[in-house]
Amino acid sequence: MIQHASQPIVALLGNPNSGKSSLFNFLTGLKQKVSNFPGVTVEKKIGKLQLENQTIKIIDFPGTYSVFPNSLDERIVIQSLLNPQDFNYPDLVVYVADATQLERHLLFAAQIRDLDIPMVFVLNMADLLEQNATKIDNQVISDFLNCDVLSVSVREGLNMDKIIEAIQDNLIHTSSENRKSLFRLDRVEEKVAHEVMEVIPCKNLYQAKLIAHHNGWIDFLSGDQKNKIDIIVKTNDFADLRGQIRETMSRFDTHVSILQKAVTGKVSGKVTLTEKIDSIVTHRILGPVIFFVVMLFVFQAIFSWAEYPMEWIEKGFAIGGSWTARILGDGWFSDLLVNGVLAGLGGIVVFVPQIAILFLLITILEESGYMSRVVFMFDAIMHKMGMNGRSVVSLISSGACAIPAIMATRTISDKKERLITILVSPLISCSARLPIYAVLIGFVVPDVRIGIFQAQGLAMMGLYMLGIVGVFLVSLILKFILKSESTSFLMMELPDYKTPLWGNVLMTVKKKVESFIVGAGKIIMMISVVLWFLASYGPGDNMENAEESGKELSMVNKWSEQETDNHIASLKLESSYIGIMGKWIEPAIRPLGYDWKMGIALLTSFAAREVFVGTMATIYSIGSESDEKTIREKMSAEVRPGTNEKVYDRATSLSLLIFYVFAMQCMSTLAIVRRETMSWKWPAIQFLFMGVMAYLGALLAYQLMS
Amino acid sequence: MSSDVDVQKPLLLLRPGRSGIVKVLIENQYAGKLLALGVLPDAVVKMVRKAPFGNVFYIKLDNHQLAIRAAEAESIIIEEII
Repeated sequence: MIQHASQPIVALLGNPNSGKSSLFNFLTGLKQKVSNFPGVTVEKKIGKLQLENQTIKIIDFPGTYSVFPNSLDERIVIQSLLNPQDFNYPDLVVYVADATQLERHLLFAAQIRDLDIPMVFVLNMADLLEQNATKIDNQVISDFLNCDVLSVSVREGLNMDKIIEAIQDNLIHTSSENRKSLFRLDRVEEKVAHEVMEVIPCKNLYQAKLIAHHNGWIDFLSGDQKNKIDIIVKTNDFADLRGQIRETMSRFDTHVSILQKAVTGKVSGKVTLTEKIDSIVTHRILGPVIFFVVMLFVFQAIFSWAEYPMEWIEKGFAIGGSWTARILGDGWFSDLLVNGVLAGLGGIVVFVPQIAILFLLITILEESGYMSRVVFMFDAIMHKMGMNGRSVVSLISSGACAIPAIMATRTISDKKERLITILVSPLISCSARLPIYAVLIGFVVPDVRIGIFQAQGLAMMGLYMLGIVGVFLVSLILKFILKSESTSFLMMELPDYKTPLWGNVLMTVKKKVESFIVGAGKIIMMISVVLWFLASYGPGDNMENAEESGKELSMVNKWSEQETDNHIASLKLESSYIGIMGKWIEPAIRPLGYDWKMGIALLTSFAAREVFVGTMATIYSIGSESDEKTIREKMSAEVRPGTNEKVYDRATSLSLLIFYVFAMQCMSTLAIVRRETMSWKWPAIQFLFMGVMAYLGALLAYQLMS
Repeated sequence: MSSDVDVQKPLLLLRPGRSGIVKVLIENQYAGKLLALGVLPDAVVKMVRKAPFGNVFYIKLDNHQLAIRAAEAESIIIEEII
């Protein structure tokens, strides 16, 4: 056994839906941390458990079906189990199996046992056995796997103390007697395994065989070792795929006879509650209707439940800001703290209610088993667009906010399908676009009724539809451009329905919120400070001059103090770096019908789309207190210099609207995309293609309308 | 092979409500995962329903349910239970 210098490591392993994570929550409580396995976005959940004489580290590995992985998550698990030098290599495995699905759940356990890793076998959901009048003889399984076997129910809290006892016992008395493998390698496999063991030391032949099998992707071998094993595999004509099937079949054969001895009273073939529910919930017509209603509820919840907390957060930060400003007085430091740091922090925290609500509801749907039905129903459509049934949930959530939606793509195991979902999600109009739509739509469509509909409402719907069309187009294009690393497949369990465990649900919400604040927060903060600097400073004595001329104008026009301040703010913004940049990009945006003022707003609203409205308020010297209506009045009164033409005519306003439908004007989304794809490459590509779509769309709209 | 009995065909062709016995998995790419999900030779599998937008099937094995795509269902050769 490898002794870890600090704390022994106990790994929780088992198939998906075995109740592993609930056990993890029970064992570690709030003492857990979520991070990623190095270099990949596979969640690694670590917790601590205090035993009588020592603290142990518990790792909740992703659910796994066998040592032959089919997803990135599973690969990470197998890699850790094949390499005793691995940082996560367990001293003891606590294997969690669903007692009602033992036929399948025994497979991975037997394989781990053959890797010679000490194990405790936990039969979860033992309470359901009683309901089904089934009995399992633990001794038979214990003899077979040569380890302790416990019957528990994590849900009912049955025998949970025994698990801790068993962990304690098995960490002390680890029998490293040479046990006979449960599976016999064939001649070729044996020869290969022996040769592999000369390249890298292994515990036994089975481990060596698996290393040969997975040589293509495991990362703990040196290039030289990989080459050597590659030659061994080729010269021996080691047919890995056939070998995998032979091993699996042979193990199942053995398990059938073991289970015949161990399990009594099993009834099969009766119609279960799950089947009855599914005959409605996954029905050809009713199914999608029910889903639509559920999603409408989720969407409404993100929209309306989040509204108040978001308002409080914004107010709270505004009050905190003015309070800080009062205490620190004037000066660049106070300004940086208030308008840079605090504003950035506010911009992060304000998303927390939406993220929390979305994940609360999604986790409930996930834990109950409904989400896999969604995948079942929508996989066909989404697959055509290079995505997965699960993408539906992300796309719909994007209607509220793309950030939680992108975080929710982690449940998509295929890399390409997940990437496409991440890249297209922000094309769906989110709630932050609403204020812009609300301000501008009046300049495009008159406030009249068409039949029973309001024209402006129809236009609003058109903008949302435009985003959806964008999703279709881009995903179809990406489907052909991006190359796939593996054959895409669906094959997934539709687990029995069950009531969610609230502890699990809340834990997931908490972790998601934390990972957003920690992961994206830093980047958002940085960009926010940069934007603050660009808007507060200008080259040379620009800013002083702006203040001076503001005061002079004030004397001439006899403005009130408030009016003077507003005009100074406007002049300062115009003279700042960002103002200069706005003027500098004017030639590029003139074909879209925009002037430099809109240029400034485009730049500042990169922080977040809704900033557009605030910037307009500053530019038109309305002060920040005013509402949308005054801004609209000011904007509509604006004429092009020397003419009577309105600046916000139909063409320009429509062009702006279309720009905001497509443009990636949200640093928080870019930050979360960077976090979820682990590189700047994808957010950069996303920013570019959305920018191009926005520019061309706006150009087309303006040129056609004017 | 004129009789209905003993006719082997892909699970894909089984009508909703009908059952069959799994004989072979003909696509190595899928076989490993299908086996791990309990689609084993001699297992009884029931075609429950087709997804609302097609291409995906809801199937039931001894005591659990799976969703599989058409291509995957095509790789499972069964003998229909008449």
